[in-house]
Amino acid sequence: MTRRTTLFLITLAVALASFLAVSCAVPAQQPAAEEPAEEYEIAVVVKITGIPWFNRLEEGVKQAAGELGVNAYQVGPADADPAQQAKVIEDLISKGVDAIAVVPNDAKSLEPVFAKAKEKGIVVLTHESPDQVGNDYDLELIDNVKFGQHHWDKLVENTGDSGQFAIYVGSLTVPLHNLWADEGLKHVEQEYPDLELVTERIPCGEDQELSRQKMLELLKAYPDLKGLVGFGSLGPPGAAQALQEKGLCDKISVVGTVIPSHAAPYLKNGCLDHGILWDPKDAGYGLVWMAQQMLDGKEIQNGMEIPEIGEIHLDGNIAKVDAMLDITADNVDDLGF
Amino acid sequence: MKKWLRRHETYVFLVIVLFSIIITSQNASFLTLENLFDLLKSYSFLGILAIGVLFVLISGGIDISFTAVATVAMYVMAIATIQYGGNMLTAFLIACSVGVALGLINAVIIYVFNIHSIITTIATLNIFYGVLTVLSGGKWIYGFPTWFREFADRRVLTLTNEAGVQYGLSTITLIWLAILIMAWVILRYTTLGRGLYAMGGNPDSAARVGFNIFRLQMFVYAFMGFLAGIAGVIQALLVQTVAPNSIVGKELDVLAAVVLGGASLFGGTGTLLGTMLGVALIAVMSNGLTMMRVPSFWYNVFIGLIIIISVSASAYRRRQRERRMIAVEAE
Repeated sequence: MTRRTTLFLITLAVALASFLAVSCAVPAQQPAAEEPAEEYEIAVVVKITGIPWFNRLEEGVKQAAGELGVNAYQVGPADADPAQQAKVIEDLISKGVDAIAVVPNDAKSLEPVFAKAKEKGIVVLTHESPDQVGNDYDLELIDNVKFGQHHWDKLVENTGDSGQFAIYVGSLTVPLHNLWADEGLKHVEQEYPDLELVTERIPCGEDQELSRQKMLELLKAYPDLKGLVGFGSLGPPGAAQALQEKGLCDKISVVGTVIPSHAAPYLKNGCLDHGILWDPKDAGYGLVWMAQQMLDGKEIQNGMEIPEIGEIHLDGNIAKVDAMLDITADNVDDLGF
Repeated sequence: MKKWLRRHETYVFLVIVLFSIIITSQNASFLTLENLFDLLKSYSFLGILAIGVLFVLISGGIDISFTAVATVAMYVMAIATIQYGGNMLTAFLIACSVGVALGLINAVIIYVFNIHSIITTIATLNIFYGVLTVLSGGKWIYGFPTWFREFADRRVLTLTNEAGVQYGLSTITLIWLAILIMAWVILRYTTLGRGLYAMGGNPDSAARVGFNIFRLQMFVYAFMGFLAGIAGVIQALLVQTVAPNSIVGKELDVLAAVVLGGASLFGGTGTLLGTMLGVALIAVMSNGLTMMRVPSFWYNVFIGLIIIISVSASAYRRRQRERRMIAVEAE
């Protein structure tokens, strides 16, 4: 083999590798086919299967399926890839489900498939996608503005209202993380003018080792750093770990979105000060519940009560339920996820 | 002196020195023992994998699947450790056995079916990783025993900085160093090591001189698997959380470090010194950008630029040399 062909082969193979890695989707289990025909078939499509967040969401879907007597199940691509997710939804449309509830990877790229679903009379719901076009309703378990602001309120409780802080996000293209950061920073400008953001938000919140390393670097680059707000569930634990290694848990506060059971050791040893989240199980339950209401011909209205979760505040087609969850060393063991 | 100037490693080293000067001028805490020790700990993972990849590249092959191998090894180790207990030694033993077994699968497929190693390992990357996601359901594992957590914080040398914070040379770095010495001995002083260079240069000639190509290949992929196993445990030590997607996707970072260090994708060349300098360059870049307070948006751009510049510089020098040789022949 000449060098040129080897080189070509390698380039091709690397391209292929990234393609394969993205497309080796393992579609989740198919629902049982022998369900009675009159039962509604409600498919919840998540960003990616097999991560704790969506495993928890699936618990809610299953609970709703049992309690509400519908055939509800969760599917999703193996990677958080918009194209794969669109394909999963297309398959569901051809299969002829009654309702599709999606947690989108990318709101824009789903518009064409949503239009197709609507043509077929399929109910389309979304979650975590307030600017979605083409859906019937979007369910939000938090008020994104309040959620962003709440992080800095909690930070200030720990650090006082002056000093330097940094921000982690999952990546610079995760809409919600950046929305929370934007809203939080606006809030800081108005309420806590003496807080100072030291650098642009750092995209490491989905990689714990990177988050650990970035915290170590931040400590050296900004010796006066007092706090960190982390979005993305691996960011705050990674930062907490770096602080633990350096024995700086008391000097620097970490506040952010975390999975309770994962963050428990850091909350208990004080390296992580405060976790903020909502329970994805509520989202799973709420989506199935809303889909059933709509399939029954009921309209979603202001003040409707999703059982055990809360009251809906309708804002356009966004159904907001305030289910923000504060996670502390005291309650972390009782949350059940 | 002239000999030094001709070596790729010299240039990588000079680039590192240059960057270090620039970074230090912006932030003096870059050039401290504390930062050095922190980097040596954090980059043990990348450094160990890079040694394995260097071996594969020298032998004329390429391995993409090592991140999946490391992930599988890490999972098996974590489950066994949490379920049945054990100690650090058993943790490494389990992970390395898994790594070696998966590496041998690669070697057998490549040799028996004579499929190019890159195709084989892309396939096995997907198979190993796919089977793992199916079986594990992608669940995160955490809650390691205390001894596992304590080992990660153990140091062989402890110092205290002005703020009263303890730091030092981590045991994890020592593992990296031990592997480095072992690899150096193999490459430099054993027939096995010479065989790898020979096979990478020209497998037919190597076979004719009497090297057993199959055995060499078995060794090289098993060794890669062995190191992937160790790297898997180290990743688990560093973050105390085992997540299926925490390693897969980093294969190109490791390859980049090795290629930066002067190893050729066509086999037969590459040195440990160069590879370690490649790892150092990537570490210094990534660390330095934060230390110089460069906004995070620029990270990837810089890393990419460094790779392009370094690799094209070495390609340019090679072409110059070839030209000179042609000129000599023409005379």
